[in-house]
Amino acid sequence: MERLIQRLSRSSLFSATFLAISAALVIFMGIVIGGLVLYPSQSQLLASITSPEIFFAIQLSLVTSAVSTALCIIIAVPVAYAMTRFSFPAKSLANVIMNLPLSLPPLVAGVALLIFFGPSLIGTMLRSSGIDVVFTVTAIIVAQFFVNVPYMIRITRSAFAVINPRYEYVARTLGCSEWSAFRQITLPLAAKGLIAGLVITWSKSIGEFGAVLLLAGATTMKTETLPIAVYLNISTGDLNEAIAASIVLIGIALISLLIFEHYGDGTQVI
Amino acid sequence: MLQITGLIKTLGNFSLNGVNLHIEEGEYFLILGPTGAGKTILLETIAGIYSPDGGTIILQNRDITSTDPKNRGIGMVYQDYMLFPHLTVEENIGFGLRQRHIDLATIRNKVRETAEMLGIWHLRERYPDTLSGGEQQRAAIARALALGPQVLLLDEPLSALDVTTRERLRRELRTIHGMMKTTIIHITHHFEDIFALADRVAIMQNGTIVQVGTPEEIFQRPETEFVALFTGMENLFHGISRRRDGEALIDVGPISIQTVAEIEGDVYVGIRPEEVIVSREPFESSAVNTFRGTVTEIQQNGMFSRIVVDAGVPFVCALTRQSIRRLGLAEGETVYLTFKASAVHAFPG
Repeated sequence: MERLIQRLSRSSLFSATFLAISAALVIFMGIVIGGLVLYPSQSQLLASITSPEIFFAIQLSLVTSAVSTALCIIIAVPVAYAMTRFSFPAKSLANVIMNLPLSLPPLVAGVALLIFFGPSLIGTMLRSSGIDVVFTVTAIIVAQFFVNVPYMIRITRSAFAVINPRYEYVARTLGCSEWSAFRQITLPLAAKGLIAGLVITWSKSIGEFGAVLLLAGATTMKTETLPIAVYLNISTGDLNEAIAASIVLIGIALISLLIFEHYGDGTQVI
Repeated sequence: MLQITGLIKTLGNFSLNGVNLHIEEGEYFLILGPTGAGKTILLETIAGIYSPDGGTIILQNRDITSTDPKNRGIGMVYQDYMLFPHLTVEENIGFGLRQRHIDLATIRNKVRETAEMLGIWHLRERYPDTLSGGEQQRAAIARALALGPQVLLLDEPLSALDVTTRERLRRELRTIHGMMKTTIIHITHHFEDIFALADRVAIMQNGTIVQVGTPEEIFQRPETEFVALFTGMENLFHGISRRRDGEALIDVGPISIQTVAEIEGDVYVGIRPEEVIVSREPFESSAVNTFRGTVTEIQQNGMFSRIVVDAGVPFVCALTRQSIRRLGLAEGETVYLTFKASAVHAFPG
């Protein structure tokens, strides 16, 4: 502490001002988030977290986010590789389109998905062949995938971009096909970036609200993921349940942030 | 053995504009050229990384122009080694053998044999990022050699190394080539490599081969101005070097040239024309090499003229026109040539 004061007293007005603003921000955020955790009594909180509704929401969130994250990886790996290594016509247009959900409000993505799976020609055709997505658990997965796959692609792209393609060239002269060079060399070298992408995509899927709300609806104990549970309970005045769901989300965010910090160096996140 | 005909490839700013090359079995073939000449693309196209826009590549009477790299029997070593960072030295060297699903004992023996030849078996459990540049380059060469390729492609293998390591590895490359009898195509922009390594040399410029020949042919009869400029050593002689008190005395035909290089045996000596002082009488100076000769030719061109003096071997000297006038030089006149021992560049022959 003494050292800190010594260092502060030596620092210029310039650095003192900037550091003070940073400190104020950190304190503000800490109080806001910490306050939420400390607001309810511990016994009430425990009761709410273990209530069937919150338990259902946790389960549903874990399952849907796991499935949508797996889909994100399966699609993002080849797409990111193609976008890094190959040149093809209309590449920049493709780039814009696949990045659009990044800057789009998730609510708008939700409306677009609702129209696509609902009254549109394709939605009508899907329904007549027995596939109804809207207001189902599948809709949660679809909405999470649609909003988050661009993130996964971006992180995976930067992981591939730092790998010199000559590693693969050498592997191919040593007897690898393009497939096996990719599997044996590029994938292991990109592993850290892929894990970072996986964690951030998963945590964003769990937190996804807008697009899920519109495509899957907010039905208690049916399409009630953790963010939907927060929303439903706030609107009915059940503050303890809303806070319980929020605290679970904070915990998940904290864990994934720590994992991301550990694996995420060398990848750029937007 | 390897016949490349009319090879065309454009890749970004680099291109091959109709490369023709014939490389003999077991040859150590060097390709010399400036940055941007297209040397690396040429190697990568030979290896099969890129399929050419035109032309053919024939290896041992087999058209491999569109063969997959893994089936070509061509090994590749890059300047920056490209050792797989997630694998140990042993796993790197054995990588190619593992792709062939050979039993592990055979792989280990082969890896050991290759690694021992390159003196890196003791590093087998290390990861590439813990190795020095020279060690990494040996591991990369071992990885390529372990498969017993018909042709080994070396892309500036010595450029990233410090001078001492480079010279040691250069000697080792020569030894390896002698032992393995593998055909080697080696890209470089160091002309020392030519004398130490090459059986034949190709000069590459702007995506084409401008001259092919033995090192002596390339240096003594540069066919284009580019080659002459790039090589730059017009007085080039073959000789035998003997060491004496930290210096070397090189017997070149009837004369002996002193140099500061610590080198022995078969050598080439090069002296740049502008390093040779021409005088009417011998003079006392710190320069140790003085020879008497006869002017056989005077070529007036531009600001500098070149005169050829026969001093037992023909020397080319560069003088200004004013100097030639002042000394009253003419063909048939007797002159003295003087140059410092440090102006003599000696390379192993």
